[in-house]
Amino acid sequence: MFTRDSTSFLKVIDANKGIIYKVANSYCRDEENRKDLIQEIILQLWLSFPKYDPSFKLSTWMYRIALNVSISFYRKESRRGRISQPFPEEIISLPVEKLPIEQNEDLDMLQKFIRELKEIDRAVILLYLEGNSQQEIADILGLTVSNVSTKVSRIKQTLKQKFATINR
Amino acid sequence: MEENQLLALWESYDRKLSQNLVLNRQNAEEITKIKVKSLLSGMQPIKIFAIIVGIVWVGFLDLIVFNVWAYASPMFLISIGFHILLTKLSIGVYLYQLVLINLVDINEPILSTQEKIAKLKSSTIWITRLLFLQLPAWTVFYWTKDLFQNLHVFQISIIVGVALGMAYLGIWLFKNIRFENRDKKWFKFLLSGKEWDPMMKSADLLQQIEEAKKEG
Repeated sequence: MFTRDSTSFLKVIDANKGIIYKVANSYCRDEENRKDLIQEIILQLWLSFPKYDPSFKLSTWMYRIALNVSISFYRKESRRGRISQPFPEEIISLPVEKLPIEQNEDLDMLQKFIRELKEIDRAVILLYLEGNSQQEIADILGLTVSNVSTKVSRIKQTLKQKFATINR
Repeated sequence: MEENQLLALWESYDRKLSQNLVLNRQNAEEITKIKVKSLLSGMQPIKIFAIIVGIVWVGFLDLIVFNVWAYASPMFLISIGFHILLTKLSIGVYLYQLVLINLVDINEPILSTQEKIAKLKSSTIWITRLLFLQLPAWTVFYWTKDLFQNLHVFQISIIVGVALGMAYLGIWLFKNIRFENRDKKWFKFLLSGKEWDPMMKSADLLQQIEEAKKEG
């Protein structure tokens, strides 16, 4: 367990900011709303920080919270006004000059296809692409390994078909 | 696109992100100073308020029944009894929601947490169903023997017709306000808008969770 110390928390967030950004980006494309979602995820990570169980990997804990926040509270309705103290600037961001990173046609299509999946499937494929083992994905989601394996195969097939359709 | 290409694409995205993402430390630090509540605790006050108001209301009605029991008309007692019973059931739904709010832990695996949150949100539909089931009680509570003796047959047929219509409508809505009917026109007409959308999405999510558990 961590103590509630902001310095070590910020170190953890800095080292894993990619997880937060990618999860938020998969559940919310709109920049303004994504900013709020990232803030909400960091806030909930901070609140849960002392509860972190070191028997799990740190990334498992982060994925659980980031996905739980994104799925449960990131429905299409506007979040603006629901956050108690929204910050004017993004907490995790890509500098404008680095934005071409996301302007890759294949990546753009992949992210579009991921966002078209249902919430749970989206979490499965995101965790898979992130390089988590099937056991880790099962731990994060609360499914069995065989369940994860079936789901991953099905979703990969769906993505493959979607890419095949646009390449025709 | 093949599997290895997908993974390579994501890996290169990940690499570039980790090199270029910027954490605004000042704002991140500010977050640690905000006095905030957990994810769902914001829902708690309204549930507690509803329970308190419900208990006060039911207590008040119980008192009325106790005081008028000896001389009130049977229809009044039946109507108020029915209303009290359904209000108590609604209070029960709010209590169930309060328990779920306290059971949700976002540190837990996604499926179990989301199942609780989705059940919490979708259970509000029960309150709506119970509300509609009360319809006939509001159309018969004032019926007395004297009323029927003093009314013309035509007038009687109107008030009985309205009561039967409301009874039919109340029971029909109670039976049919279900998530399976959410795409039907009458459902959208009656129950749509900002408050209902999260509930419908929760029902979808519950379905996804059920399917996810079965697959494999």
